Amino acid sequence: MLDFFKKSRQILGMNSRNLEFIRPFNLKRAKRLADDKLKSKKILQKNNLSVPKLITKISSHKELDNFDWQSLPNSFALKPNRGFGGEGILVVYGKKKGRDDTWVKANRSLVTIEDLKIHIRNILDGFFSLSGTPDIAFFEERLQLLKLFKPYSYRGIPDIRVLVFNKVPIMAMLRLPTKSSNGKANLQQGAIGLGIDMATGTTTTAVLGKNKIIDYVPKTRMLLSGIKIPYWKDILALAIKSQDVSGLGFLGADIAIDKVHGPVIIELNARPGLSIQIANLAGLKGRLKKISGLKIKTLARGMRVGIDLFGGEIEEELEEVSGKKVIGTIEKVKLISKEKNEIEISAKIDTGAGFSSIDTNLAKQLGFEKTVSEYEKLNIDYEKIKKLNSEERKELFKNIPDLADTIIVHSSHGTTYRPMIKIYLIMDNTKIPVTVSIIDRSNLKMPMIIGKRNLQRFLIDVTK
Amino acid sequence: MYYLHSLGIFISPSIHFFLQEGVPFDTIILILMLPIIATLIAFFGQVLGIKAFGIYTPLIVTFAFLATNGIKYGITIFVSIILIGMVMRFILKPFRLLYLPRVAIMLTAVAILTLGLLVFGGGLRRTGLAAVSIFPILIMITLVEKFVAVQIEKGNKAALILTLETLFISIIGFFIASSEPLIKLIALRPWVILLTIPLNILLGKWTGLRVSEYFRFREIFKYL
Repeated sequence: MLDFFKKSRQILGMNSRNLEFIRPFNLKRAKRLADDKLKSKKILQKNNLSVPKLITKISSHKELDNFDWQSLPNSFALKPNRGFGGEGILVVYGKKKGRDDTWVKANRSLVTIEDLKIHIRNILDGFFSLSGTPDIAFFEERLQLLKLFKPYSYRGIPDIRVLVFNKVPIMAMLRLPTKSSNGKANLQQGAIGLGIDMATGTTTTAVLGKNKIIDYVPKTRMLLSGIKIPYWKDILALAIKSQDVSGLGFLGADIAIDKVHGPVIIELNARPGLSIQIANLAGLKGRLKKISGLKIKTLARGMRVGIDLFGGEIEEELEEVSGKKVIGTIEKVKLISKEKNEIEISAKIDTGAGFSSIDTNLAKQLGFEKTVSEYEKLNIDYEKIKKLNSEERKELFKNIPDLADTIIVHSSHGTTYRPMIKIYLIMDNTKIPVTVSIIDRSNLKMPMIIGKRNLQRFLIDVTK
Repeated sequence: MYYLHSLGIFISPSIHFFLQEGVPFDTIILILMLPIIATLIAFFGQVLGIKAFGIYTPLIVTFAFLATNGIKYGITIFVSIILIGMVMRFILKPFRLLYLPRVAIMLTAVAILTLGLLVFGGGLRRTGLAAVSIFPILIMITLVEKFVAVQIEKGNKAALILTLETLFISIIGFFIASSEPLIKLIALRPWVILLTIPLNILLGKWTGLRVSEYFRFREIFKYL
């Protein structure tokens, strides 16, 4: 019981967030800036932080009546200036074919000028604004979904929430829009929140909606952990700088990655939500306490502190969560020879190759001299063998000992026809049977490359 | 200390003074109950995490309950108003109206149907329902706007949860405000309501997790 209360002190609750963090660190002026999307866009832009480009704004009913609808591009996002929780945002992806006055939404439903007018009137009347006060509507360029995120998100753009306090990024979460959230990256509405390892920008744990811990994208076998978010350091830098610029001591920066422009800040949040803790399965208060006394002078230092304190251990966690091992691009592996001896070599991990291959000399060392020499005797080249059918090929190779298969490999050196053998490979303490092709690699650095076929049980960390 | 013969309770000199000035006893007690109910709502919000529709709505619904003849009529009216509000939103959705006119239509429907409810109550010889005075009914009709606003902002489920929370707090508030020992205590020692001030200061400085948050973050506890 005592332990339970001790643990509860690691978690940030509403009361504490409001009283101990928002009240003292987010002053009224800064809060007003964060609540005003146009103004924060302007200030961020002035400080060279990238934001989605503003197309135009409509601030009164009169402006709406005189608005030139043809000035709008084919795709755009229409937003309320003081909206919250992603409400009142309308995104169109293109014009309907052959129509000048109709756009198409992500769910393929149509939006006419009349629909836009009603939506904008609602915005102007303060329907979506924080306190119901009259508001401004604006159009901005539509962000384009990164290919990496495509399989994970439903009709919308995932965004990354980074919490920054005292120049230190303390926790981050990737939010994926889902069917039940209707394409919105909002956890309350049923989006998926993924915890992120601060050091590497790799996703860790996942929560669906408010409270459901999940491992896979619902109804698929797509693992949610281990997604490596590109531009991670840039994203952190963007979040920290935006804290500095906005004057918000306790900031939730919402950052999206555009296919063309890279990371852009879509929103500053002066009252960041607490669900980020569930996505990361970690408490915020413990982290906040750790850094509240630190004097941090530069933004770079802040980033380093965040990475050091709140990143790390991802690898073991990842291995635990995914059941896969993390390896680097060059890995020390052991091969087991015909005489059951282990030979240790360095192998190149090559996701561009389908099969693994080893050097001819290495194959000989492994006890396959006969296989190699017999194959070489046949003196086969690709052009010749191309004409044979599989029966004829079998006949040709039937006298070669230990030959598992043959394969045509198209590589940068041209097309080769190679013999294949079966051996055991030990990588990261895992023994796996592999079928490898044999080729002369004597002029190359590594005597072996390991291809996709044999990498299913591993995750590759290119920085390792 | 004075003895109030009509109710058979002891009252403090200040209450006696108010009565002599012509303020009705029920009104005095209702007004003095206000800070207590408000504190109760603050406690529910800050410590238990039951939010309801802010502080004003549950407070005024509590008083509406106190002013109806018996809480069952109050709850009946409350529930039917919310039900009508939900159905009306569904009906009005395809018309895609602006916010204010839409709420106006909703209120009209609620008003008419509430009237129908009273007539229906009369028909069933439930005269208690028909005898409910107009003000508590009006108060509860204003609930619809709160309900609709939350419904649009956070969806049906959230609005329904907040409504049930409001109903829950108001029912508890009703029983507290109509509890005889408490009325007797306030009549005898009206200054006790000042104790709500230090209590609220404590609540206002409370930074611990709310009871609801222990539930909300339950998954995290397994990993800490």
